[in-house]
Amino acid sequence: MPNNYFNTLPLREQLAQLAKCRFMDISEFPDGVEALKGKKIVVIGCGAQGLAQGMNLRDSGCDVSYTLRAAAIAEKRQSWKSATENGFVVGTYEELIPTADVVLNLTPDKQHTPVVNAIMPLMKQGACLSYSHGFNIVEEGMKIREDLTVIMVAPKCPGSEVRNEYVRGFGVPTLIAVHEDNDPKGEGLALAKAYAVGTGGHKAGVLMSSFIAEVKSDLMGEQTILCGMLQTGSLLCFDKMIEEGVDAGYASKLIQFGWETVTEALKYGGVTNMLDRLSNPAKIKAFDLSEELKLIMRPLYNKHQDDIINGTFSRTMMADWANDDVNLLGWRAETAETAFEKTPAGDVEISEQEYFDHGILMVAMVKAGVELAFETMTAAGIVADSAYYESLHETPLIANTIARKKLYEMNATISDTAEYGCYLYNHACLPLLADFMKDIKTDVIGRGLAVDDNGVDNARLIEVNAALRAHPVEAIGTTLRGHMADMKKIV
Amino acid sequence: MNISLDNLTVNFDDRFQLDELNWQLNDSQHWVVTGANGSGKSALAAVLAGAGDNLSGSIKGLPAKVGLVSFEAQAELIEAELKKDDADIMDVIAEGTPVHEILNPGDSNQKLIDELVEKFALQSLVERAFRKLSTGESRKVMLIRALASEPDLLILDEPFDGLDVHTLEMLQEYLASLVETVPMVMVLNRFDEFPDFITHIAYVDHGRLQHKIDRNDSKAYNELYQLLHLKTTDLQVPAADPETAIPQLDPTQPLVRLNAINITYDGHKIIDSLDWTIERNQHWQLSGPNGSGKTGLLSLITGDHPQCYVNDIFVFGFQRGSGESIWQIKQFIGYVSTALQWEYKVGTGLRNVIISGFYDSIGLYTKSTDKQKQIADEWLALLGMSDRADTPFNKLSYGDQRLLLIARAMVKHPALLILDEPCLGLDDMNRQLVLALIEKICAGSETSVLYVNHHPEDQIKGINNYLALKKS
Repeated sequence: MPNNYFNTLPLREQLAQLAKCRFMDISEFPDGVEALKGKKIVVIGCGAQGLAQGMNLRDSGCDVSYTLRAAAIAEKRQSWKSATENGFVVGTYEELIPTADVVLNLTPDKQHTPVVNAIMPLMKQGACLSYSHGFNIVEEGMKIREDLTVIMVAPKCPGSEVRNEYVRGFGVPTLIAVHEDNDPKGEGLALAKAYAVGTGGHKAGVLMSSFIAEVKSDLMGEQTILCGMLQTGSLLCFDKMIEEGVDAGYASKLIQFGWETVTEALKYGGVTNMLDRLSNPAKIKAFDLSEELKLIMRPLYNKHQDDIINGTFSRTMMADWANDDVNLLGWRAETAETAFEKTPAGDVEISEQEYFDHGILMVAMVKAGVELAFETMTAAGIVADSAYYESLHETPLIANTIARKKLYEMNATISDTAEYGCYLYNHACLPLLADFMKDIKTDVIGRGLAVDDNGVDNARLIEVNAALRAHPVEAIGTTLRGHMADMKKIV
Repeated sequence: MNISLDNLTVNFDDRFQLDELNWQLNDSQHWVVTGANGSGKSALAAVLAGAGDNLSGSIKGLPAKVGLVSFEAQAELIEAELKKDDADIMDVIAEGTPVHEILNPGDSNQKLIDELVEKFALQSLVERAFRKLSTGESRKVMLIRALASEPDLLILDEPFDGLDVHTLEMLQEYLASLVETVPMVMVLNRFDEFPDFITHIAYVDHGRLQHKIDRNDSKAYNELYQLLHLKTTDLQVPAADPETAIPQLDPTQPLVRLNAINITYDGHKIIDSLDWTIERNQHWQLSGPNGSGKTGLLSLITGDHPQCYVNDIFVFGFQRGSGESIWQIKQFIGYVSTALQWEYKVGTGLRNVIISGFYDSIGLYTKSTDKQKQIADEWLALLGMSDRADTPFNKLSYGDQRLLLIARAMVKHPALLILDEPCLGLDDMNRQLVLALIEKICAGSETSVLYVNHHPEDQIKGINNYLALKKS
């Protein structure tokens, strides 16, 4: 049974690691890719993320090749094709790993243990092993050979964007970390920084974090607000609209594209801006609904965070991995059969503003989810910067996958850990909100408020506006979006 | 009045020729004829007054009474006056024809002449000899003479040139009062001088009537404005930015050397063992059918093609795959293609789009310097887009976007300017605009041009190296 690394640490060390997260200034990268110059980089895995990072690094002047399992090469699988067609040298672990100065492990989480066990004995003395997610180290307690440097470089966007943004001359926000137990030569940070420069991340903003903070915040965000809340909200809102006689095509479209539309406002100006898009009566309505939702869901968010921190979540999930993914595959099949998933978006025009006006409950759900995830993470000792990125910042990215192909696309795009956590959340949250949903009518989902005038009580409106703006996710959001705007003069 | 020119070719003493003119004018229209210096716009106007020798085609419906004011007509009259003087064998001081005789050659409306003399404040000059007048004064006389002849067609070639503000306003007002009485054809160079009553615009270039535009077609009108701006402005390509340092290239090395290049897709060779060297200061034209690998070949040079790492490529001092970054390559290249335009989907303002050429980025992610802003503004002025410096790029018309991307490609005065079908998808007007810009740019700079195109009529002066790819 794997030994949870986090649980082996003393409390003060756990707290210190959780609290690590700092936004780095571009002036902290004066050496560019120098630390990687002349070093041989071997990437394990050639999926979207692996290919994108390898191409960026090569275009930045690095020496990159790919290693795949012998079977993938022999059968000329897609990964082999992608790498060879793009002009990379491809070889087996035995051929390439012994020559590597830096090994980038860009395989899915689930494969980390067998992959790392296979390559570790082959790695050069004093080489570097890089991850893009810390699950294997933190949750599975993988012990890496003492002479090896272990770092993490995690672009916070899908592979296609990692490549596209680089080609445009920019990059995507990237998280870096050094595994302090494995930094024998003290070169981990220099390598991680050079790697972030090589993929273009330094131009879009680099967060210096720890393996632990990355894992515990990433898991929390993805299973609650990001995927869990959007999935649960989609199913509840759709069923309610059908029950109330709203046209199924309209309901399907309102949800499929509604998340993307309302979270676009979130991306630009936080929760405050998202609610400011509503009329005054609708804003007050959304605020009240979200307060109610937060009250009902807070214990669930706490439970998710607790299970993540103490390792219950990863233990449960790994048991399912060991059991041929029975739970995961069962849930996946269930989702495919839901009414929302099976009803295609209707051929109706819905204006940008209508998504807000007719989706008050959706706005309330996003607000409640973002704030709860943020509050729970920070209460667990994760710093606000991290909590912001893993909640509010990524919500529009996930909403975008739903807009493309509903829940199936979302679950196909996100990691295995996210998908597993999403189902856990969904199964607990659906019954939890059953009573709440009984009182919901089409005024807040599907048809909009029927009010004769937009008049509201001044004192109440002032109260609501003040509460929105005073939430701590808004303060850190304003600061971080400011950094991004400074750097990302997309103008 | 219905004037009709059909395939008319007119020669002017073998000095100049107007070719294949097709043009219909009628009573209800007022035209401006415009074009660059030497384009033939004055000649075209003069044709309506019966000038030139018709070589072929026909012109029908010319009215009997045409009032013509032009520098040429003015010069002819003055010359005739001087000849009279020369011809005078009498040993008396000849004053020449007095103004009042010039004003009324015989059957003009004297009352109208008197009125106009007063309007132009020429009362004190009516007795003076015409040839003693200043240019401005004699121009006024010409105007009065033409207006008072009560013509069926009034041709005014640059009538506002050399007039003081007061007279100019008066004349514009007076002309406006004639719109119901007489159709007018005016030759004008400056758009801001086009009177409001003008209904149509004819654009002349290289002795051909290139465009006939309805004033109400605002898109065509704006394009014509830019074209004219470009053709008539004394074009200075803005200087490079001395502070954006691009390393010096070794002058003994070629810019590009491709050695036995292959490009392969799915095991199929698109380019098979091609050698190509681009020396400094060579201009090249690359052609070939669709699918012959033109764009692939270019992207090997720009570093956008992943197979550049498995080929023997030397570019701008770098052997590819030796630890250089693509940004070190791109700094020497200016690049325009349809694909780039598709990728350049940003709401960046026009000024910043041009500045992004200094950084080879799509969108601008770096704080620009004042010097870069100044250079970008010079380019905007060149393109006639100064008033739109902060307009989002994606709000521009297709043709304007293309023009702007050409400016972006040129802004750093790259060692190699790659124009991959720069005119593709552009209408005729914009194509001429683009070609004019490229020619201007090529003429005086150290840039080597690599031009890819299909259309034989889109020739660029100065290109004399050709590479034609075949479909393999």
